[in-house]
Amino acid sequence: MRRQKGFSLVELLFALLVLTIVITTSLAVFVERTRRLRQASELILVTQALANEAEIVRRIDFTPLDGLDDQFDTDLSILDPLRPFTTKVEVTLLRAGVKSVTMSVRWGKDRESKLTLLRTDTGGTNLW
Amino acid sequence: MNRERGFTLLETVFALAIFGILIFILTVMTAEMRGNDKRYPLNYMRHPQVSSVLSRMRRDVLDATQGPMYPVSAGPYTQTKETLIIYVMQPSGFAETVVWDFSVEGTATRKTFNVGAQVSEWTARGLPSKLTLDIFEIPDRPYGVRLLARDKAGQLAIDQIFQPRAH
Repeated sequence: MRRQKGFSLVELLFALLVLTIVITTSLAVFVERTRRLRQASELILVTQALANEAEIVRRIDFTPLDGLDDQFDTDLSILDPLRPFTTKVEVTLLRAGVKSVTMSVRWGKDRESKLTLLRTDTGGTNLW
Repeated sequence: MNRERGFTLLETVFALAIFGILIFILTVMTAEMRGNDKRYPLNYMRHPQVSSVLSRMRRDVLDATQGPMYPVSAGPYTQTKETLIIYVMQPSGFAETVVWDFSVEGTATRKTFNVGAQVSEWTARGLPSKLTLDIFEIPDRPYGVRLLARDKAGQLAIDQIFQPRAH
């Protein structure tokens, strides 16, 4: 009797399954890597914008801090790739002589980055 | 009984074809990934020389002191968008003039001068693109320095403000 040799259906399906797993895993890894790289890049841009704004906030006298605009004062061209985004500056009196200034940037669906500075009343001494 | 052994030519070609397609897909994805890498500012900031320049320059501006703070010239250099001259207080208590020169594409050179004579030189090479300078003004405060750099796609990758501190 001539016996035909070849792959059975189970073997074929198993091979396809292995191939599918390899391709799917590779794709998932690449997609995740790209996503994280994009997130890290966005964070680098936002961090620079926050740090630049902090340079101004650090040097404003204690009393005028209350009159700070609730939007960023610095040039935000570096955040262009993140448009649309929103910025916010919030000043809170924690206790007498201590204020917190929280700067935040929101972009994308739900991404937000914040930087908080604590300012104390030095009694008029210039600590810029 | 005639027992066949091994794969037929057709089977081998078929298996190689599938393997080839898989390799092709992975190669395309890797190439695309590398292309994406270059577009992100992260790639720019990852450059070790960029970090060195940023940290050293931040330190210099932070330590800038009146004398004047930004001298008009030092050695052969004058203040431009590509050259920054700062009068910097050293930890020793003595001050010296520091020149940052970004005029050569891909390099950043820091030179120090004392009484007109050059004392030291440090150069960062292989920077992804040219760095440029601007002034940053906060009312009633000394001028700050704004350092800018664009990546190869023309997108701002570095925009950092350095402000002198009180001494």
